[in-house]
Amino acid sequence: MKKLLEISLGVVTSVGGFLEVGSIATAAQAGALFGFQLVWAVVLGTICIIFLVEMAGRFAAVSHHTIADGIRERFGFNAFIWPLLAALFVNFLVLSAEIGGVAIAAELATGIGFQWWALPVAFFVWLLLWKGTFGLIEKGMSMLGLVTLCFVVAAVMLHPDWKEVATGAVPNLPQHDTAKYWFMAVSILGASISPYLFMFYSSGGIEDQWDKTYIGANRAIAGLGMSFGGGISVGVLIVAALVLGAHGVTQVDDYNQLPLMLIPIFGFWGFVLFVVSLAIACFGAALEVALQQAYLVAQGFGWTWGEDLKPRDDPGFSLVYTLSVFLAAVPIALGLDPLKLTIFSMALTAASLPLTVVPFLFLLNDDHYVGEHCNGVISNAAVIFIIALGFVLALVTIPLQIFGGA
Amino acid sequence: MQLLRDILDKQVVDREQVKIGKVDGLVAELRQAKPPRVIAVELGSIALGRRLGAVPGRWAARLVARLSGKRQTRPHRIAWNKVRDIGVDIEFDIDVRQTKIFAWQDWLREHVIGRIPGA
Repeated sequence: MKKLLEISLGVVTSVGGFLEVGSIATAAQAGALFGFQLVWAVVLGTICIIFLVEMAGRFAAVSHHTIADGIRERFGFNAFIWPLLAALFVNFLVLSAEIGGVAIAAELATGIGFQWWALPVAFFVWLLLWKGTFGLIEKGMSMLGLVTLCFVVAAVMLHPDWKEVATGAVPNLPQHDTAKYWFMAVSILGASISPYLFMFYSSGGIEDQWDKTYIGANRAIAGLGMSFGGGISVGVLIVAALVLGAHGVTQVDDYNQLPLMLIPIFGFWGFVLFVVSLAIACFGAALEVALQQAYLVAQGFGWTWGEDLKPRDDPGFSLVYTLSVFLAAVPIALGLDPLKLTIFSMALTAASLPLTVVPFLFLLNDDHYVGEHCNGVISNAAVIFIIALGFVLALVTIPLQIFGGA
Repeated sequence: MQLLRDILDKQVVDREQVKIGKVDGLVAELRQAKPPRVIAVELGSIALGRRLGAVPGRWAARLVARLSGKRQTRPHRIAWNKVRDIGVDIEFDIDVRQTKIFAWQDWLREHVIGRIPGA
């Protein structure tokens, strides 16, 4: 019974972690321009992240190491420094984009320009990290995140042609805007397969003191949680296709177009629901990414860490998230367009994947760490596939950014 | 036991289980006609800098010297005979409060973090 409760809480948490400014923006853009054609990218990204999150959780539960600990220990500092720098940089961009997402929601709600909201938003993120516990952040914020289910409700109420949606779930070639199509596919994959997600998840396993008895629960949480998250992303894509695309809005390059999505279904409340969903999803993600920056540095250098400690008991750890949050607010405060930043950082996330995913192949097959709970054939095949995908993405991202991103 | 695989880069804790750093370097003693012997582990940015190369090592030493106001700086060392347990972490029979390893964290607590309300 207790495990069941824990699993359902975990699932809700994972949904909260999955949906953020990147998945909303990329799914909306893809739906508006290509209809249901890119559903496969969401599905593929979701399957990949299910495998990685399950492995990160299993690694933490069995070895009592986080992924960052594992990479440093197994490969040494000289190798660890590359994924460390790449993840710190990509997370910085993503954190900035999430703060931008909350700031846009605040602008839509009040009419005051988003750049004025960057620092207040950063302050609230910081305050919650400063005063809150891991449980509060993990469970409280993600409960609120359930409001994003409104996208699924809206998608069903629009009565899409489900056969057409299913056809889009199979990879297919574009009929127009080829470069843009592939760039969108890369961005969607980057938004779904986020390194911060699985690294944060393994830190969470340690914070919640997981042990071997959690292996089953971990599998359920990873599978169900990420599937629900992916389901909501598909919901966003369907709504964007049927509302924006059908009304001739094919280029979502201005965030003011986004709240129109829910209005035909829910009227004025659709506007409110969109703004609240965007604010909560991005705020939750900002908390997680900022914490992940501190986890990464503290675990990488072996400092005392833990969100349940008081800041004075882990000053180094607290300093890292404090600096991360306020530095990430600067580009938004200076007026950098959050939507452009989001799409850019999602593509860059995809390009950075090999650095963080290759270690999985070694860590999850090393019986020093996972003993009898090593990867099976299917998990290993999945990691190898994700690594190959990661290398392809890393190669094509920059050219696609130039030809399809602008 | 293999030094590089099982010791280097592992988490170090003191006798109160406080996480104090990673094994950033190993110090071995060369003996005549006998195999070399590990006498200490090194922790901290100077040891880490040296891992990356001679130049980053010198930079780290210079930076630490500037920040701490001392002329000469060396990496923190913990004698190998203080080791108590090697498991998920390596436990040494020391109290981190009696070393200088956390001097920067203490400074941070006193001058920055501790001054912010609610810390």
